[in-house]
Amino acid sequence: MSEALGTDETLPALGPGGMPGAAGARAAGPTGPRRSPASRLARRLGDLFLSDYFVLYLTLAYVLVLIPFLPTLSNPANLSNVLSNMWPLLVVAVGQTFVLTIAGIDLSQGAVIGLASVVGGALLAVGGSGAVLENSPLWGTVLTEQGGPLAGVPWGLALGIAAMLLTGALIGFANGFSVAYLNMPPFMVTLVGLIGIGAFAIWLTQSENIRPLPDSFVELGKGDIVSVYLGPQDEPKIPRRQIYSLVTYPAVIAIAIALAAHILLSRTVFGRYVYAIGANRRAAEISGVPVRRVVIAVFTISAVCAAAGSILYSARLEAGRPTLGDGAFLLDVVGAVVIGGTSLFGGKGKILWTVFGVLFFVVLSNTLNLMNLSSFHIDMVKGAVILAAALLDVLRTRLMRERAA
Amino acid sequence: MSALLAFKGLSKAFFGVPAVADVTLDVAEGEVLGLIGENGAGKSTLMNMVGGVVAPSGGTMAWRGEPYAPADAAAAAARGIAFIHQELNLFLNLSVAENLFVDGFPKKFGLIDRRAIRERAAELLAALDLDVSPDAPVEDLSPGERQLVEIAKALHRDAELIIFDEPTTSLTPRETARLFEVIGRLKAQGKTIIYISHVLGDVARLCDAVAVLRDGRLVDAGPTAVFDIARMIRAMIGRELSGLFPERTARPSDEVALRVAGLGQPGVLENVSLSLRRGEILGLFGLMGSGRTELARVLFGLDPAATGEVELAGTALAGPPRQRIAAGLAFVTEDRRAEGLMMESPIEENLALVSIARFGRAPAALIDADSLAEEARETAQRVRLKAGNIARQPAKSLSGGNQQKVVIGKWLMNGPRVFILDEPTRGVDVGAKFEIYTLADQLAASGGAVLFISSEIEELMGVCDRILVMSRGEIVGGFDTAPFDQSAILAMAFREAA
Amino acid sequence: MRKTIVAAATLAAATALSSPAFAANICFAFQDLETEFWVAGHQAITSTLEEEGHTVIERNANEDANRQLEQVRDCIAQGVDGIIIIPQDGESAVTIVKEAQENDVPIAVFNRPPSDLSRGIVVVADNATIASQAVDFLAEQALAKAGDGQTLQPLILVGDLGDPNAVGRKEGFYAAIAKHGDRFAKPIEVATEWDAATALANLEAAVTANPKIDLVFTSSDFLFPTIRSVFEPRGMWKPAGEEGHVLMGGLDGDATACQLIKDGYVDATGVQDLYFEADQALEAILKAIEEGEYAPNQVIEDPGFALTSANLGEREKDMWGCVLLADGFLNK
Repeated sequence: MSEALGTDETLPALGPGGMPGAAGARAAGPTGPRRSPASRLARRLGDLFLSDYFVLYLTLAYVLVLIPFLPTLSNPANLSNVLSNMWPLLVVAVGQTFVLTIAGIDLSQGAVIGLASVVGGALLAVGGSGAVLENSPLWGTVLTEQGGPLAGVPWGLALGIAAMLLTGALIGFANGFSVAYLNMPPFMVTLVGLIGIGAFAIWLTQSENIRPLPDSFVELGKGDIVSVYLGPQDEPKIPRRQIYSLVTYPAVIAIAIALAAHILLSRTVFGRYVYAIGANRRAAEISGVPVRRVVIAVFTISAVCAAAGSILYSARLEAGRPTLGDGAFLLDVVGAVVIGGTSLFGGKGKILWTVFGVLFFVVLSNTLNLMNLSSFHIDMVKGAVILAAALLDVLRTRLMRERAA
Repeated sequence: MSALLAFKGLSKAFFGVPAVADVTLDVAEGEVLGLIGENGAGKSTLMNMVGGVVAPSGGTMAWRGEPYAPADAAAAAARGIAFIHQELNLFLNLSVAENLFVDGFPKKFGLIDRRAIRERAAELLAALDLDVSPDAPVEDLSPGERQLVEIAKALHRDAELIIFDEPTTSLTPRETARLFEVIGRLKAQGKTIIYISHVLGDVARLCDAVAVLRDGRLVDAGPTAVFDIARMIRAMIGRELSGLFPERTARPSDEVALRVAGLGQPGVLENVSLSLRRGEILGLFGLMGSGRTELARVLFGLDPAATGEVELAGTALAGPPRQRIAAGLAFVTEDRRAEGLMMESPIEENLALVSIARFGRAPAALIDADSLAEEARETAQRVRLKAGNIARQPAKSLSGGNQQKVVIGKWLMNGPRVFILDEPTRGVDVGAKFEIYTLADQLAASGGAVLFISSEIEELMGVCDRILVMSRGEIVGGFDTAPFDQSAILAMAFREAA
Repeated sequence: MRKTIVAAATLAAATALSSPAFAANICFAFQDLETEFWVAGHQAITSTLEEEGHTVIERNANEDANRQLEQVRDCIAQGVDGIIIIPQDGESAVTIVKEAQENDVPIAVFNRPPSDLSRGIVVVADNATIASQAVDFLAEQALAKAGDGQTLQPLILVGDLGDPNAVGRKEGFYAAIAKHGDRFAKPIEVATEWDAATALANLEAAVTANPKIDLVFTSSDFLFPTIRSVFEPRGMWKPAGEEGHVLMGGLDGDATACQLIKDGYVDATGVQDLYFEADQALEAILKAIEEGEYAPNQVIEDPGFALTSANLGEREKDMWGCVLLADGFLNK
């Protein structure tokens, strides 16, 4: 169980072998009789270990250890890649954080990404090939050789995006309703969503992808706002232009969503309700928390975040893809959130932790790519690193308990 | 009588803070020793040392005159020491017989000998007059029956010293009476018993000797004959407590705060009517299963009612708890762990839970953290919460009494008009009980009204203006003025048996 | 066995380059390794590159187009000289090619064509041509065996027509049959939807209705075991030369097909020339790197060939299925 991470001083601090009252007096002298420099160092390390930023420190330490072996790691092109891989995953993980915090889980996020991608693709496409899509029920009804109904329409992009988000909102609402009013377990409800909605998305296009999409949409997936030019680099056979994305649309979108989510979760009444439901649902109900409405809202947020992630993923692959978010993707999302420190058992979760968890995951995948391991070994190493991180989390929880005792 | 177990200068410190300090005490063979003290006085630590769960940091123990230093819980059990804990250690999904034998099934041809188990189990149960089938799953048993199963387990292991830790917390009066009878029988068989309880009346009735711990030290000990309850309290809290209950500071007015008329729900409640006036503390007594908690849940909107109506200060109450809370109702449930507190969350978050919407500022309901912290701090002071940093310290780190104060505090912050307190002093030590009674008095004095539900007759008699008695979902009668007659109340509650 | 082939391929590639070999960093991103065809393609490319002294950086996307895009970006960041991908699908291939070219890294798409052929080095196999080569051989054999003026009955197992490969293969089949005008009756079409169970049911029905069949073409070799289970009880599963042999052909060239040709049950199978494709892709990309061409665009067609009972000896080593067979693939 992932415990409170983030309380770096839970109780009046008891130093190793010290009484609380005496601690202040001793701190006055530089070398107290019983608190040696070594024990102070241990205490410092302990604080670091328990801090909100632990996963960030862990990631930085991991990178620092690897840089001598993988010089590419610190190369600006690689940093730009890591960031660009991070943004869409972050958007989806932010949504999952809300659901995990109320002790739920949203397995349908991957399917929402696929369906929203198809919806956006079908509406926004600026052309189409009958040869590819003629078996799709969308062909001739929504999509034609001229593209989707929003092709060339003023505000078409905004409408298409709104339709994608709405798709997520509807699915999220249905998930939340089933959990809150029909008292179905979140795992089952969203598993059904994962299977059913995923199959529906694939049926819609008969497993084909919809393209081409308008440039304005594609920009959302990778468009630069600020780029940097670092001069020519002569290592490869062909000199590159070496222009790196620094501030991109996905970055702006993801940071805006994460920031809004952070404020919503940590600073608002709604956020308090979310924590209360996760910490003790019955107590929350009895204390007058509108539990059902909050549960519905949380699942809706999760699915809308998935749909927003779908915008970024679809745009960067430049197609409406029903299989987007398939397979192991969901494990990356839940894994990143949990590594960040959010508890699967509810009541504990922070957007900041999720940001670091996602960073850790993305950096991990990136470094594994750079190690040029055989494809068979990559997932084994990934599993081992995640296991190590989970063990560290267990140690952390234990240390925190000891400090609180 | 010789000493079965002797402590000599026994001490234990955690992180330099002494939990048990220099305790020297003999437990005579065949006696029932009452061990009392406030929460945190060191009773659990002392017993954990006996049980081999923690090792002493100083001093020695002796068992029948020989040095005794158990390495672990199994070593203690091997010597013949058994614990009957507050939270029972039974496997709910297994049968009674399986629970008795779970640490060593008799085998025949390498297979579990079910017949032998059943026979031996039936024997043990008969010895305790427990009329349940050895094959019954433990989850179907009442709390009292489960406890007897636990005792049977101790007997099966030939325990010589049985330690009871708050055994009556979840028992009905009838089950409690039966437990005492069983303890008497165990004593007659020559077993030695250590009985830990907050219910001082029980200790006085049951025990041969009393030992009192305060701040880890043994502050008083002696035979019960010369150890009245006043002396126990004095020793426990280290000062004179004029009584168990505070002086009432207010008189009920004539204004009705809560009116209940003809409330009914088939199988649960039958035509319940009552009225609670401002400034009043109305006691509601009933045995377990009498419908007292059910009534509270219906009043609060957690369970449905088929008939009847509830009015708070003239307005009809309906709908889920939210609407009733808005109307000014507050409910301290009997199970603070499961329904009252977010144990892992900081005290401040618990205090803020009911009234949090009040601190949201438009348009996004951003919380005004400063005034929230300020009000939470004031509330903590008002309920005399003993805690460190309320913004960080989790609720689970508090003692039972202080946890209950947090629950009361979270309702107080919402400024309710009617308080329903369901077993507010369960598992709370004497000092904290007094403070909770004081709080109830203050609530009434400041114009509120309190419905005080309890299965402890003495406390209702001590704090209430009136007492109603429930039985089988009905209000069977009431007592309007002090002094109350305890046996009359009990007789009314037992009407079916009488 | 494989080593010799690789050596031969290396020789071909090396001689194609005008200047002496240099060591390049090549990123090879493939979509997964779950069918034997892809295993063979993967082997063909990696071993050829390594034998030539180039460094191969492998990336397995596990059928996730997004991950493949991220992997290609990581390759670019690592400063590779060129990229070869086997894409997840035609659409993501377009995006990835664009991504690489925008970063001035030459890229070649192997075996699964992008939906837009105008950018990147693209090696495509022509299903129709390959199918007609195989069916040509079957038709000639059938006609040679039959008496003059006799009309022969052909049968085709059609794939899922939503798949462009299946469509191309069917077209190739009809083109080859049409060459012989009225010597063939109207072919019987058995729908399979690329599913063995469906194929079994439909083939049973078709054979029961038309017991006399002279020529069978399956749009994919993986259906040979299905055909066998229908034909064997009816005495139609005989090796060439025995009475009752039905001329049989397929397409793909997997290890089972190779074995069946060797045993005489199957007469021909159309094969993508995997090693030709690998050589062409490598050659083109190495040439681009050499010449500093960072966005080479070129479509290379693989005409494929038919491996038949007649040319088995000389072409066997060019067929990936036979290579796997020689490696003991079927015994693994």
